[in-house]
Amino acid sequence: MTLVSRIQLRGLTRRFGAVTAVDDVWLDIADGEFLVLLGPSGCGKSTLLRMIAGLLPPTEGTLHLGDTDITHQPPQRRDLAMVFQSYALYPHLSVARNIGFPLRARKLPRAQIRAKVAAVAETLDLTALLDRKPRELSGGQRQRVALGRALVRDPGAFLMDEPLSNLDAKLRAGTRAEIAELHRRLGATMVYVTHDQVEAMTMATRIALLDQGRLEQLGTPAEVYDRPASVFAATFLGSPAMNVLDATVLTVDGTLSARAEDIDLPLGIDATMPDRPVRLGVRPEHLTIAPPGEPGIRAVVTGVENLGSEEVAQCRSGTARVAVRGTRPLGVRTGEALTLTARPEHLHLFDVGSGRRLTWQPGAVPAAV
Amino acid sequence: MVSGTFVEAPPLALAGEAGVRPASRETGRSRARRLAPPYLYLLPAVVLLVVWTYQPLAQTFVLSLHSWNLVPSTPMEPVGLANYEQLLSTPELGRSVWRTVVVILGMLPFTVLIPVAVALLTRRVRGRAQGVYRALVFAPMLVAPVAGAAVWQWLLDPSAGAVNRILGTDVNWLNTTGTAQLAIIVITGWHVAGFAVLVVTAGLAGINPDYAAAAKVDGASRGQVTRWVTLPLLSPTLAFLVLMTVLLSAQWTFPLIDTLTQGGPVGSTTNLYYLLWEYGFRSHDAGLAAAAGVLFFAGFIVVAAVLTRLAERLSHHDD
Ligand SMILES: Nc1ncnc2c1ncn2[C@@H]1O[C@H](COP(=O)(O)OP(=O)(O)OP(=O)(O)O)[C@@H](O)[C@H]1O
Ligand SMILES: [Mg+2]
Repeated sequence: MTLVSRIQLRGLTRRFGAVTAVDDVWLDIADGEFLVLLGPSGCGKSTLLRMIAGLLPPTEGTLHLGDTDITHQPPQRRDLAMVFQSYALYPHLSVARNIGFPLRARKLPRAQIRAKVAAVAETLDLTALLDRKPRELSGGQRQRVALGRALVRDPGAFLMDEPLSNLDAKLRAGTRAEIAELHRRLGATMVYVTHDQVEAMTMATRIALLDQGRLEQLGTPAEVYDRPASVFAATFLGSPAMNVLDATVLTVDGTLSARAEDIDLPLGIDATMPDRPVRLGVRPEHLTIAPPGEPGIRAVVTGVENLGSEEVAQCRSGTARVAVRGTRPLGVRTGEALTLTARPEHLHLFDVGSGRRLTWQPGAVPAAV
Repeated sequence: MVSGTFVEAPPLALAGEAGVRPASRETGRSRARRLAPPYLYLLPAVVLLVVWTYQPLAQTFVLSLHSWNLVPSTPMEPVGLANYEQLLSTPELGRSVWRTVVVILGMLPFTVLIPVAVALLTRRVRGRAQGVYRALVFAPMLVAPVAGAAVWQWLLDPSAGAVNRILGTDVNWLNTTGTAQLAIIVITGWHVAGFAVLVVTAGLAGINPDYAAAAKVDGASRGQVTRWVTLPLLSPTLAFLVLMTVLLSAQWTFPLIDTLTQGGPVGSTTNLYYLLWEYGFRSHDAGLAAAAGVLFFAGFIVVAAVLTRLAERLSHHDD
């Protein structure tokens, strides 16, 4: 049997009364892809995943698996495996019976179930725990059991709803690597929900960034990080978040530069255009401290945070806050006045009204001002 | 040249950091003040229990060792274990125990099977319909048993009753040995089933819906989800209902028996409670009734202990 596990979401929408939890989402998830649904709490990630799983009927839109419309198929017939945010391990069943549950539902012979469970338990290091009940397990062990219950069956795709959210930092890093490795080995399609940007950046082949139920940006982790489609995307990824300042693009001596009272940054574009107010974005790690007198962002240091290998200087430029991140020590002190510069390719411009990214198009005639 | 050596970092001086260890001595008075509140909170409940439960229990036990006809002016005569001997030698006791068992078995469908089926089937009722439906189901519980009994007596009337008319029979339900017990069971069941449905509904609402969702994604059919997930997780509720049925069925039937059959015909509806009542308030043999009460009390304690043990073994702590 060939696995056709391409999942297509066509205008999927879900409303709860007046709340639109998921708003017209179009996604084409390729076979073998590791798609991460990323977004702040309450943006509709779980709702979207539950619709894909068939646990929640969409208000509008359709869902396709391979070539078949599965919008109205019950979850039993979708052949998807899901790891719940709460794990949802059956509390009355042992670990072995939990993992074997999907096979039992498919009426596999007992011996075969036992063999498969043993094999999965082996890979997840659960062999010693097979006779325990879920309540006798630690958070990390429960998470592995939940994973085992999904892995035991070779489904069309895996759906995972923040499976690592209950783990401590160390266990989370370890399990993150395990899941990524699993994906490489199985080559299975994964739809993975998280609000943790580290998980998204390290595991995803593509990130779907959601905001208030709408798809804000879709792209590889590098694309989403390097070319954020909006102010929301720019400030959601990255720690500390991207600095976003109000400025105006002016033509000075035949080149463009972003100016404001305390800002003077060349954009590296030789052209002329009418003045235009913008929102100027620059990541903390792309700001460097320039010698006094150079053009840049004039700021005063209000505090320095030690991250271990790096330091973050929190600054104030006019009324805006600007963070600078660099190798420790940065060599600045609270109260010090700085000039910060950044290379033109590291500057992002966004529209003031919509917050969408602005890209330079040479030769285009500007619309009426 | 300057000579030197490496010095190990000293261990953390925890005591210094945390300050002086607090003195562990405590005066008797402050200790009493610290430990007293929980007992004070318990006190009202304990007082009520003692006055209304334990004291009558003790009095019953004392009474069971006496002969007394309930007339305040006649003295109580101590008779030792004579009441117990008399009780255990009458065949009535054994028969009434057996009838009680029949009542309990007959009640189980009404307190467990039907409520589970109804609660499962009507789980999807939502909104205003849910309130209406619950009120309907619960209504019989609010009808006073004696009033209900009067209506049922009329329905079961051998000549003009609706039951005979609907079934096309001419059975004298309440005056035939076989059917009287059945009628008592069905009417009692009609009274308590709504309450049991509410208990099951509450139990179902307490189960995290993620388990059923996970089972569905895992490929379990609706029946499998019910059998493998919902019912096992409901087992503490079911155990509670079984326990209630075993301990209280005979008590629930009492007002109906007293109104409809008075234990007859030919004693066929005389269960433990009715027997006890007959001894005490028909034969005016308070000692014998008290002895019966003590015996039943002991018997039900054993049954309750066994059932609670079983229920604990069954229940899964859902966390
Ligand atoms: N059953 C429901 N009834 C009403 N509103 C709901 C329901 N489920 C979700 N919502 C609403 O839909 C929105 C999206 O919820 P959802 O659970 O999908 O968020 P999420 O992105 O998974 O958040 P989190 O990261 O906190 O898990 C929220 O505003 C939530 O309040
Ligand atoms: Mg969620």
